[in-house]
Amino acid sequence: MNVKTSTLPKRYHEAVLRWKDVFLPDYDFLLENWDKHFPNDPEFQLCAYRELGMCSEIECGDLKGKPKAQKAGDLLPEQAHHLFGAIRAQASTEFGSIQQHRLTLARAQEEEEQFWILRMMAEELRHGYQMLHLLVEDDWSSVSKESASDLIEDVLSMNTGSHLLGAFNIDFDSFVDNVVFCALIDRVGKYQLAMQKISAYKPMAESMPQMLREEAFHLAAGVVPMRRWVTAAARGETFVTMEVLQKAINKWLPRGLEMFGDERGGGTNVRFGLKPMKNSEAQAQFYQEVEKLVRDLNLRYLRARIADLTHAGSETALDRVLAGETVEGIRCEDLLYVPAMEFFRRRGVPSFRLAGAQGETFATVPEYLQHLVRTLPEAYRASRDFKDYVEALTAVQEGRMTAEQAAGRMPALRRVAGACPCSKSVRWMVDDPVVVSAPQLARPVTGQPVA
Amino acid sequence: MTETAAGIRIRPLDELDISAIVAIDEAISGRYRPEVWERRISYYLRRAPEASLVAEVDGKVSGFMLGEVRSGEFGLEEPTGWIEVLGVDPAQRGKALGRKMAEGMLEHFRSHGAHSVRTLVDEEREDILTFFSSLGFEPAGLRPFVKHLEDRRPG
Repeated sequence: MNVKTSTLPKRYHEAVLRWKDVFLPDYDFLLENWDKHFPNDPEFQLCAYRELGMCSEIECGDLKGKPKAQKAGDLLPEQAHHLFGAIRAQASTEFGSIQQHRLTLARAQEEEEQFWILRMMAEELRHGYQMLHLLVEDDWSSVSKESASDLIEDVLSMNTGSHLLGAFNIDFDSFVDNVVFCALIDRVGKYQLAMQKISAYKPMAESMPQMLREEAFHLAAGVVPMRRWVTAAARGETFVTMEVLQKAINKWLPRGLEMFGDERGGGTNVRFGLKPMKNSEAQAQFYQEVEKLVRDLNLRYLRARIADLTHAGSETALDRVLAGETVEGIRCEDLLYVPAMEFFRRRGVPSFRLAGAQGETFATVPEYLQHLVRTLPEAYRASRDFKDYVEALTAVQEGRMTAEQAAGRMPALRRVAGACPCSKSVRWMVDDPVVVSAPQLARPVTGQPVA
Repeated sequence: MTETAAGIRIRPLDELDISAIVAIDEAISGRYRPEVWERRISYYLRRAPEASLVAEVDGKVSGFMLGEVRSGEFGLEEPTGWIEVLGVDPAQRGKALGRKMAEGMLEHFRSHGAHSVRTLVDEEREDILTFFSSLGFEPAGLRPFVKHLEDRRPG
C-alpha cells in the first residue's frame, strides 16, 4: 500500500480547524484519550490521503479503457459538472453529520460507545477535509465561478437545515439517533465511497480507500451498540426498547434510501465512468444489507429471550415468529422489521405516497398521519422537518403541488438564529472565543475558553 | 474480493459478519459468545478492515480469519503479519477455505510491507499445526512462555 498524505493550504486548513472548534469541541479530548480507548492505533491525523498505484483506466461506461482524468480540466464538461456536484455534496454530508452527532453525543450511556462515535466524528471531519482538498487542489473554473475560498466557505457555512441531502438536515433527538444513523446512513456512505473508488477522476478514486477503511468502523459503531441494545431489551431492561429502535429505523431508513438519488437516475454517472451502479441498483443492495442487519438483530433478541436456543434453533424460531406464530411468548410485533421502501418518502419514485411502514396503503392524509404518529419517534414528530413534510404531503395529496415540486422544496433552509458560521470560516477568521452550543463530554477543566 | 472456486468467495470482513462468526465459533467451541465477537470484530474493523477475511460458500459465511500487520511485537520491529484467529464451520471443512483465506491474507500482508507472517498454535492442535505447515509455516525462534498468576482478590 502506497499512501501519500497532504494538507490544505494553511488558511484553508485553519478554517477547518476553526470549524472543528465550533462543531467538534471534544476533538482535543478525543486525542488526549486516544490511547486509552484505541491503544496502539495510529494517531489521528487531519490530512488528505491519496492511495497511489490504483487503476489508471476508466473502469465503466462509454469511456471504459481510456485513461482516467488526472485533472478536472481533462474531464468532459458534463462529466466535470456531475463530479463537482458530487464532491460538494459529499463534503456537505461529512461536515453535516458532525453537526448532527454533537447534539446528543454527551447523552451516551456507555463511555466506550461514546468514544466510538467521537472517533467517527473526527474521521468524518477528515473525510470532509479530503473533499475540500479535491476542490481546492484542482481548477474547477470550467464548472463553477466560485473561487476556492468561496467553495470552502460555502461548505463550512452549511448547517443542519441547509445541507444538500435530506438526511443531514434532521436533528438528532437522543444517542439512539447517533447509533442508528451510523448503522444506516453511514452504510449509504459506504456505498457511495465504494462506487467512487472507480471514479474516472483519479484524485477522487485515490481518495476513497482510506475513507472506506475508516467507514468500516463507523458501521460497527452503529451495529454493535444496536446488537447490545436488543440484547438488553430482550432481558427486560428499559433503556432502549425495541419500539424505540424501530422508530429510529423508521426515521432514518427513508432518508438513507433517498441518498442514492432518484430510482430512475444514475445512468449518467455510469456512462461517465464516475460510478459503477445506477441509483436503483445500489439502493437495492443497500436495502438487502439492512434486511440482513435487522434479521441479525432479531436473532440476537431471540437468543437473549430464549436461554437454551441454538443458532439453528434461533433461525427456525425467527421464521416461525415472522410467519405469525407466537414462540415462547415472542410475537412478530416484538421484533424489528425493515420499513417498506415506499414508506415516508419525500424524494424519488414513491415520494409523498400514503405508504405504510409495512407495505400497507392509506386512503387519506389524516389516516396516514395517524400511522406516522404510531411509527415515528415522538421527538422527531415535534420537529420542523416533520412539519414541513406534512405540509408538503398535504399539498401533494390535495393536488396543489406535484410530488416533484414538493420534493424540490425539501429541505427548506430555516435555521437563521445563532452565530453566523461564516465568522468562523475562511475570510473572516478572527481569534474570538469558541462558542459551544452543544453539551461537551465530561472532562477536566483545561483552561480552554468556552462560553 | 476473490472468487476462488464455484460458490466460494473470499472477501474482507464486515460488521454484518458478526452473527455468522458467532455461529461458527459456537459450532467449534460449543460456546455462544456474541459479546466477545462484537468487541473483537470491532477491533479488527477499526484497525485494518481489509486484512481480516471471511469465506463464503454459496453466499453463507462459513469461515473467518482475523489478523493484521503490526510492528514492535516482542521486539520484532519490522512490519510483521499476524494471523490471530481462524475458524471454519465444521460442516464446510474439506473445501480448503482456510487455505484460501490464508492466501488472501498473506497477499494483503505482503502489500502492506510485511516480510514475514507469524502466529501461535496450541501444540495439541495437530490439525492447526498441519494446516500452517502446509502453508509453509515453520517453527520460529520465539518460544511462548506463560506464568499463571494467583488470584489475590479478597474473598
